[in-house]
Amino acid sequence: MQGNGFKIGTIVAFLALTIYYLYPTVQYQLEQNYIEDLSPSETAQYTEENAEKLESLRSNILSLGLDLQGGMHVTLEVGVPQLIRELAGENADQLLNDVIDVADQRALENNSDFIDEMVAEFESRDPDARLSRYYRNDAMDITRRSTNEEIATFLKTQRQSALDRAVEIIRTRVDRYGVTEPSIVKQGQNRIVVELPGVEDKERVRNLLKGTARLEFRLAADAEEFRSFVNQTYEYYDSFEQPSDTADSVVNNQFNPLDEVLVPAQNPYLFGYATPEDTSRVMDLLRTEEVQRMMPRNTTVMWSANPLPGQAGEELYQLIGVRTQIELTGDVIEAASVQFDPATNVPEVSMSMNSEGARKWGRITGANIGKPVAIVLDGFVFSYPNVQTKISNGRSSITGLDGIGEAEDLVNILLSGALPAPLEIMEERTVGATLGAESIQAGLNSILVGLGIVAIFMIVYYRTGGGIADLALLLNIIFILGILAAFKATLTLPGIAGIVLTIGMAVDANVLIFDRIREEQRTGKTIKASIEAGYANAMSAIVDANVTTFFVAIILFSFGVGPIKGFAVTLMAGIVASLFSAIVITRVVVDYLTQAKKSAVSFG
Amino acid sequence: MRWFETPSIDFNGKRKIAYILSAVLFIASLGAILTKGLQYGIDFRGGKEFVLDFENPVSVVELRSDLSEPLGSTPELKLFGSDSEILIRTDNEQEIAVVQEIISSTVRELHPDNPFNVVKTDVISPRFAEDLKWGALQAVIYAIVIIFIYILIRFRNWTFSAGAVAALVHDVVIVLGIFTILGDLVPFSLQIDQALIAAFLTIVGYSLNDTVVVFDRIRENSNVHKGMDFMPMVNKSLNDTLSRTVITSITTLFVVLVLFIFGGEVLKGFSFALLIGIVLGTYSSLFVASSLVVELEQRTNKS
Repeated sequence: MQGNGFKIGTIVAFLALTIYYLYPTVQYQLEQNYIEDLSPSETAQYTEENAEKLESLRSNILSLGLDLQGGMHVTLEVGVPQLIRELAGENADQLLNDVIDVADQRALENNSDFIDEMVAEFESRDPDARLSRYYRNDAMDITRRSTNEEIATFLKTQRQSALDRAVEIIRTRVDRYGVTEPSIVKQGQNRIVVELPGVEDKERVRNLLKGTARLEFRLAADAEEFRSFVNQTYEYYDSFEQPSDTADSVVNNQFNPLDEVLVPAQNPYLFGYATPEDTSRVMDLLRTEEVQRMMPRNTTVMWSANPLPGQAGEELYQLIGVRTQIELTGDVIEAASVQFDPATNVPEVSMSMNSEGARKWGRITGANIGKPVAIVLDGFVFSYPNVQTKISNGRSSITGLDGIGEAEDLVNILLSGALPAPLEIMEERTVGATLGAESIQAGLNSILVGLGIVAIFMIVYYRTGGGIADLALLLNIIFILGILAAFKATLTLPGIAGIVLTIGMAVDANVLIFDRIREEQRTGKTIKASIEAGYANAMSAIVDANVTTFFVAIILFSFGVGPIKGFAVTLMAGIVASLFSAIVITRVVVDYLTQAKKSAVSFG
Repeated sequence: MRWFETPSIDFNGKRKIAYILSAVLFIASLGAILTKGLQYGIDFRGGKEFVLDFENPVSVVELRSDLSEPLGSTPELKLFGSDSEILIRTDNEQEIAVVQEIISSTVRELHPDNPFNVVKTDVISPRFAEDLKWGALQAVIYAIVIIFIYILIRFRNWTFSAGAVAALVHDVVIVLGIFTILGDLVPFSLQIDQALIAAFLTIVGYSLNDTVVVFDRIRENSNVHKGMDFMPMVNKSLNDTLSRTVITSITTLFVVLVLFIFGGEVLKGFSFALLIGIVLGTYSSLFVASSLVVELEQRTNKS
């Protein structure tokens, strides 16, 4: 036993730490079990009385990944090209747009930095030209004389701050929406990873995350001009023959493709109605060069945000003619709240503007009495009410919403501020709670069965030694969980797989040691000497083997995403824990049995 | 119980047979990968995936043809665990909510008496998939480079590094080949996704583990038996460690098999890769890694 004092000390310390870190998890689970047995009213009372305690427990538990508890994992990308384009503002020209498009493509192909590619592309077109002509900014010390290098640095700072701002805005929105324990982190230069446990309404969350809240007030198109444009377009497609590569073209050659996808409208400001599946085909037909040429000046078409019910109960979206010019933007909105229309009790968003906005709004409404004004959010028309009178108090409202949920989300988005650049969903993974629960059960079963089989095998093969190794194995699993809890890592399904794998590989160190002890015994050494030599001689192989595996785990951690990171973390924790339990714990037990108890330890 | 207590198997003598076996497997795998291409999962090529959990069993073939027209292209359908759970993968580029609605309404219309839940959805944009693929490739390359360097530092002999890395490449290529060949033959998904990269790196780690233990014994034996020739010494080291190699492989195989059977559908491909990988890894550290070291040592000593 001499010399083992330090080892025993470490084991006790390690165990104490593990218990300390796992205590909240166990306690929380017990509380949950207790709450489950209560009646609903008792539950409410109990959770309220113990809110603080439960909260503090929950913030320290070993949390489960989204693949186990169900929820939504979204990776968003800040549209850097758009951001850079908008930073140039009115200075942007065709050259800059071309350069941005080329750089975007190239950054994707070469996996390189967009801004570096952009500067390179710009310089390759004209080595003497300066980007500073687009980005003069006195506040940021960017003058006409700034070098392209300085501009690149400036743009990168802008990108960074846009990302930071986007994260803040997303956080505000998620918090207002009310998700327990959301996680919002930056990834790389332009991505944001959002994890939302237990989210039910996915579409609502998508809109919440992506909503740039670009609110615009636009005048409707000129009724007469727009009507004649609609008629011309129909005439144009009347004379249109179906492409000859389809088989029934001969039969159908008097066919108007617009009729296939669009329901005509009476309202002079409407091009027509279409079902959600057809909207993209309608746009294809309207985007052709010939149709664009017929489009009245300063006019464009936009879809309504929410559908109207059609005759057969189908959903129909309206295609509305509006001006290209934006009269007023959401910057002027000072406050927003959900209100209910006193007559119909339908929810709407009521907004008030700052003084400058109110002045402009008064002028616009005053000059357009009797005509519609379109209220556009993120490219979709929410409503286009007719102006009744001049509005001088800066009030306006968004109607035509799809229920209270949408109204609340809109207020949320408007108040949390506009995103600096559009966000695009790059990756979205959702797992239902039931599938998650099944995965937990499957993982648990695997751990128990795996542990059982390995434990029995070890005892059969190594006798007492095997039993000691099994004890180490059991502690090993508890240590892994403790390490995960201590580092606030999340347990994912691949993570559980990592634990199961560790069960198989953790005994490796003991196999190496025990085999070595047997070998030493064969050379005629006493059991005590054999144990001594066995542990000593096996050490270098154990260290080498585990260090290399640890490297692999680190690499996996650095390059993996989401659940794979979880796997790498458990693998690392598993290596550390198994080295400790296989080398230190088994040694102490073996020494204790051979020396203090004088019992014969058999290694089979 | 004692297995392989004092074995004297002539590993290096049999290495010619191993070379032929490995060469056949390796070339067949490379051939399969080159002709058929790697079967990437959604992680590495993008797209949309939905898992529908039906109340009663459904026919994959029927559902596939039902959905082809509304989706605009034939989707990929596979059973997901049980015969009432279906995984649908499509390249339809519309918004996820629209695609999900198309699938849901079509299925609901055609199978009104078989209600279902969408239990899992994954959407990966092609651009993001490209990044994931690049990340995975980097991970594998870095792993191999770092392993080469570590072994070089620890064993101070580049032939050991080369032998270990060759064995790893051998293992990974053959597992990839088997995945490519078996892809359509087994009832679970063998597509290459992120989880599989994790499995590959685990196989790499595992196979290396075995190899390093043998190398360690070679190093020890070369200090103890100074006069011994290199080849017999390698053979002795393989025999010395054989018992440990087999026992560790058995315990690891046990747990991986458990994972394969009990781990659920999400982990099927992952644990299948590990299953093959562990068998291969054990084989390659016994027959490939050390044999190559012997081979390389003989060449360099002659020259």
